[in-house]
Amino acid sequence: MSRVPEPEAPPERVPAVDVRGLSKTYRLGRVEIPALRDVSFRIAPGTFAAVTGASGSGKSTLLNLVGGLDTPSAGTIAVRGKALAGLDRDGLSRFRRSGVGMVFQSFNLLPARTAHENVAFPLIFSGVAKAERRDRAAALLEQVGLSGRSRHRPAELSGGEQQRVAIARALVNRPPLILADEPTGNLDSGTAREIVGLLAELNRSRGLTILMVTHEAALAREFAHIVIRLRDGRVEAEERLR
Amino acid sequence: MRFRDHMELSLSNLWKVKLRTLLTTAGVVVGIGAFTAMISFGLGMQKNVAEAFRSLDLLNTVIVFPPGGGPGARPDGRDPAAGGESGAGRERGEPAGQAAAVLDDRALEAIAALPGVETAYPDVSFPALVRLNGREEFRLVQVLPARIAGSKAVRIRTGRPYASDEAAEIIVDGFFLRGVGVKDPASILGARLELVSVSFDPSLLAPAGIVSFLQGGALPLNRETYAFTVVGVSESGAFGPEGVLKELMIPPGAAGKIKSLPFRSIWDVFRLQEGRAGYSALNVRLSSPADAESVKTRIRDMGFSTFALADQFAQIRRGFLFLDMVLAAIGMIAVFVAALGIINTMIMSILERTREIGIMKAVGAGDGDVRSVFVFEASVIGFLGGLFGYGLGWAVSRAINRVVNYFLARQGVPAIDYFAFPWWLFLGALAFAVAVSLAAGLYPARRAARVDPVQALRHD
Ligand SMILES: Nc1ncnc2c1ncn2[C@@H]1O[C@H](COP(=O)(O)OP(=O)(O)OP(=O)(O)O)[C@@H](O)[C@H]1O
Ligand SMILES: [Mg+2]
Repeated sequence: MSRVPEPEAPPERVPAVDVRGLSKTYRLGRVEIPALRDVSFRIAPGTFAAVTGASGSGKSTLLNLVGGLDTPSAGTIAVRGKALAGLDRDGLSRFRRSGVGMVFQSFNLLPARTAHENVAFPLIFSGVAKAERRDRAAALLEQVGLSGRSRHRPAELSGGEQQRVAIARALVNRPPLILADEPTGNLDSGTAREIVGLLAELNRSRGLTILMVTHEAALAREFAHIVIRLRDGRVEAEERLR
Repeated sequence: MRFRDHMELSLSNLWKVKLRTLLTTAGVVVGIGAFTAMISFGLGMQKNVAEAFRSLDLLNTVIVFPPGGGPGARPDGRDPAAGGESGAGRERGEPAGQAAAVLDDRALEAIAALPGVETAYPDVSFPALVRLNGREEFRLVQVLPARIAGSKAVRIRTGRPYASDEAAEIIVDGFFLRGVGVKDPASILGARLELVSVSFDPSLLAPAGIVSFLQGGALPLNRETYAFTVVGVSESGAFGPEGVLKELMIPPGAAGKIKSLPFRSIWDVFRLQEGRAGYSALNVRLSSPADAESVKTRIRDMGFSTFALADQFAQIRRGFLFLDMVLAAIGMIAVFVAALGIINTMIMSILERTREIGIMKAVGAGDGDVRSVFVFEASVIGFLGGLFGYGLGWAVSRAINRVVNYFLARQGVPAIDYFAFPWWLFLGALAFAVAVSLAAGLYPARRAARVDPVQALRHD
């Protein structure tokens, strides 16, 4: 298989996320569980996209594949024109480091570290010097409104505050794409609205592309540009809101 | 990922589980401690023997025996293991056809004149009753030329060697002094010591004398008393070989004056039954160990047997290598157990930190980053274990040394260091600890690197 360099499309026309015929089948012994079947969609740069669907419809599976945490059974994923299938394990980890930032429902912060340390943590693996790590983490904590909480550990923060720390951490390597898997799932409705509002604000001010899984249709309608609805591992509908 | 960040990450991870880190490290400390103590004991033994050989000038010494004589030979003069090796370092000279060579004064002079020979002196000792401070003890007295008594071969601790070969002066050793209950060696200097020579009277060896002895008559012995002045107290070497150091030493001139005890005549007595005369052995001191081979060859050409401690020394060293290996193997077992502890701890910690590994990977840590964080943790445990393990080994060795010396001192053995701690042992112990810990951490670290981030992040 020879590698022919793909012709570069003009920047504005390269999709931020381009998913083609994506399938993921889990095997539990002899049982095959199709989590995603032939999923295709494109998201233009700077889009705030929401993914909805019933529990078990394959939303998390989709995000993990786009985030390079897992590999598909079939189909391709390209982020800003770059195919993930062409990356080896190290290439994937480099992609996770600088190509994408992930936010989870359960925050996934390191419990023994302070908010500040959690935000700066990914920069260790990018080889960024300590002083710069400190400055960047402080600036981001300020931006998510947590300057006063930088020395607190996750257990000393509210759910909303923890998710802000997680968002700041997702931004610290300055990725162009944020993947958020039910970021509001553990939050009350007021706090949930604040968090989605923060993501929308980052989308606006920084031109970040955001792919957010959510169960809350009202929030999706209020903030997202497009909504992708999954059902049994297939794209049921793709709705452009604005 | 930077080296410093590796360090900080590993240290902070270890710090989070202080007690477990402490216990795992303690395992390495004990293992390396045992290993260090074992090795240093082996090295210490080796060093002490080597030093004893060197300080007593034994590597410069060749002992000459009459043909067929020497250690291992039976009293009847016949070799018990003809053709076989009965003592390392002994080589036989076989006079071809001619009459057996005699180790007499002429032979002594000829040997002393050989190139490379510094001095040669007969190894003569005789039993005598020793009277000192009103006590009588039966001891062996060594006749030693003044120039040998004044050399390194005899370590005078208090006082001085005798002035000349003619002086009626005697050197006693510390062992003898303790035997006769003298605590302070200095107090004995200048004291009068009497030797009561007890020798066979050849004239009494006539059949008539033996018959009279068997019938309850007097022993066929001559008893004469000679006065000596104690001038020096020599060290009783813990490693001093027999034959070179005796408890009492007198010069040959004074010995010659002892009635019916001229050198030749004593040995005439002892050798009479074998129909030979001459000394039982000569000590030959070389100017340099390098001359050993040529001198030995020349002496064997004269028809005598030789025994060089240098040859035996080489064999002793081989023995020590074996001892070292046995000791190291015992130490290794302790280190191996510690390595199992490290593996156990690391695997436990991977199970506990699965989620953390998932987070590391989600934020961009590569397999290599995860692996090296764990490898670093293992090597930090190894480094600390090596450092404190060496300290423990050292401390335990010091303690054992003190206890052993305390008890041996009561038996009159001078205090020595039974353990050796050369600088490379420290570096070696440290390197070994780190290497073993790295090896132990490798498998867990690989397992950590293979953790699937999706699975790791799935559940709370
Ligand atoms: N590691 C796995 N092994 C086997 N089956 C899996 C695995 N991960 C997901 N699945 C299955 O794939 C399907 C999709 O799972 P996924 O987690 O993507 O759903 P989801 O839409 O995120 O659901 P929820 O809204 O509950 O988070 C489910 O049927 C799930 O059981
Ligand atoms: Mg999910």
